[in-house]
Amino acid sequence: MENNNLGDKILETIKEHRIKPKGRWYFLLKNYLIWLAGALALLAAGASLSVMIYFFQYNDFGMRREINKSLAEMLILTMPYLWLIFLGIFVFIIYYNLKHTKTGYRYQIWFIMMSAVLASIFLGGLFSLAGWGEKLDEVLEEKTPFYGQVMNPHLDFWSNPEEGRLVGVVDSFSEDGNLNLVDKDRTKWTINISEEDMKMPIIMGQPIRILGEKESKSTFKAKKILPMMPGRGFFKHVGPRAGMKSGREINNNMVPPPRMNDSRMKKDF
Amino acid sequence: MINDLNLEEKTDEELVNIILENQNTFSCVVNRYKDKLLRYIRRISSSNLEDAEDILQNIFIKVYLNLNEFDGSLKFSSWIYRIAHNEVIDNYRKKKARPQLIDIDIKDSQIKELAGDTNIIEEISRLELKQNISAAIDELDLKYQEIIILKYIEEKDYQEISDIIKKPLGTVASRMNKAKAELKKILVNKSSH
Repeated sequence: MENNNLGDKILETIKEHRIKPKGRWYFLLKNYLIWLAGALALLAAGASLSVMIYFFQYNDFGMRREINKSLAEMLILTMPYLWLIFLGIFVFIIYYNLKHTKTGYRYQIWFIMMSAVLASIFLGGLFSLAGWGEKLDEVLEEKTPFYGQVMNPHLDFWSNPEEGRLVGVVDSFSEDGNLNLVDKDRTKWTINISEEDMKMPIIMGQPIRILGEKESKSTFKAKKILPMMPGRGFFKHVGPRAGMKSGREINNNMVPPPRMNDSRMKKDF
Repeated sequence: MINDLNLEEKTDEELVNIILENQNTFSCVVNRYKDKLLRYIRRISSSNLEDAEDILQNIFIKVYLNLNEFDGSLKFSSWIYRIAHNEVIDNYRKKKARPQLIDIDIKDSQIKELAGDTNIIEEISRLELKQNISAAIDELDLKYQEIIILKYIEEKDYQEISDIIKKPLGTVASRMNKAKAELKKILVNKSSH
């Protein structure tokens, strides 16, 4: 190729192949999509973090003596690992998209990563204050089949009757003042609440956590009863197959709570 | 109709707008950059002249295709060198062969500057610097080789290099320091043998 004729040759090629410059809209759209993907990843990272904050609010570190676990053990057992992985993925997507904006290459990796992390923390904090972490956890528990077992470590942590922790949904109250509970595997338990010392009203269909002692294969002595927070949406799956009220009925029982004088629905201790 | 004389007086940025109206004026950009880019391609690639011209043609077609991407946020020369850089890297990846430097054409002033910046005058004062530097650059890693060529042969400043290779200024500066240290090591080794 003669270098002098390069301009002509290139023009010939352009004309021959009818090459046209890509429209400005193409580059604008590409740029907007990069920003949009980054913004969506930021929202997802904020949402992940708000769920993690919600989990940490109820990880019962203050009860570790009663639970008989060290702080490190509690941390390891209640750490929402998959949420952490998702958060990492979303932060990476934010980083990747920021890096691929028009001027993203001008910033150091640490600066972009720190910005992504800080923005996620800020947004996660806002979502958490708005109560979205709790709502998101509940919706995911209710709507997605494996979320509870896979994403929420609280369910497994509290489903350990051998170690004195039991979680389930209140099925009914028995004549002798005890209550019947269905756990996450749909096993029915009779809960002896004679030694239980608490002021919490118990509502039928309500998911609860119990600290106590396993007495037999299907009986458990309660020492402390606590409301179920992270993971309570999971028990909306449990109801119907356990022969209880449906998830919707349980939900209706919980919100609004039954009248205080309805002895069939509620017991105060 | 705009005549050639007028086009020659236009800045790159003005020329882009004119080309978007009239594709025949694209040859003006080609004429303005073909020699510089051909030298640059040959300096950082293992291509012979014919291959380098093919790469150059691809570069100009990509420049034409992506003209609307150029928005003046960086110099046109940085933008066109960036396309050239990417094309050479793509070509290198396709061939999976490390580019070899082909007899770099370095001006005396550029040699003096590079030698001064790497403090190698004293160590190898008796060597024929020009030949040795050309061979030493050839032995550098591609990322160091390219940054040395952009700074000392193409005479780009740090901001332009940052825009061309799409790395932050800090990375350009640290990479430059490492490249100079490597270059010095190679040159001192050569002088001791």
